[in-house]
Amino acid sequence: MRHLLWMAVFAALTAVVFGIAAKGDDRQKLIYGLKVFAEFIAVAFLLGWILYFIPFR
Amino acid sequence: MVANRVEKDRDMSTPGHAWLVGLMAWAIPGAGHFMQGRWLRGALAGGAVWVMFFVGLWLGGHMYAVSGGQQGFGTLLQLLPMIANVGVGLPYFVCWLANAGFAEHAQIVTYESGNTFLLVAGLLNYLVMLDAFDIAAGRKK
Repeated sequence: MRHLLWMAVFAALTAVVFGIAAKGDDRQKLIYGLKVFAEFIAVAFLLGWILYFIPFR
Repeated sequence: MVANRVEKDRDMSTPGHAWLVGLMAWAIPGAGHFMQGRWLRGALAGGAVWVMFFVGLWLGGHMYAVSGGQQGFGTLLQLLPMIANVGVGLPYFVCWLANAGFAEHAQIVTYESGNTFLLVAGLLNYLVMLDAFDIAAGRKK
């Protein structure tokens, strides 16, 4: 659970900077930042489940 | 036609203060935007970098530095993450002078997460620095 929390914090902070550095007006920046955050979380969950089924041992 | 070209090039040239803004933006995350009166933008972008940096240290991450101990490929393995870490600006050098944040604590569960936070904090500050520079140069609003 703690790793999930830190992953979400990481995604949020990165999305803030990406949103600010993006082109467009404030609304477009906000939408882009939210999109980046959602993509971070979605990809993390997807990779997490893929790795769950791969036997490493 | 040549005169038009010269005039256009002059318009495209980077104003001198943009370099100072870029330098300040690198040295102190958020300062480049503050210098231009972009308070909210500076607080959000700089704040994100600062938070990421301190969370990285708090999670037990460490920063990289090239020392005389490595040779060849070992130097490269230290140099690339060091470039990322240096992106955070003065905080890196303050930690270096204080000899804090460079020791490895691999036994801590969140050690790798901390490393990632510290690396990405520096990389994000490069992005914030370029944003501040572009605004100062008139290439971005």
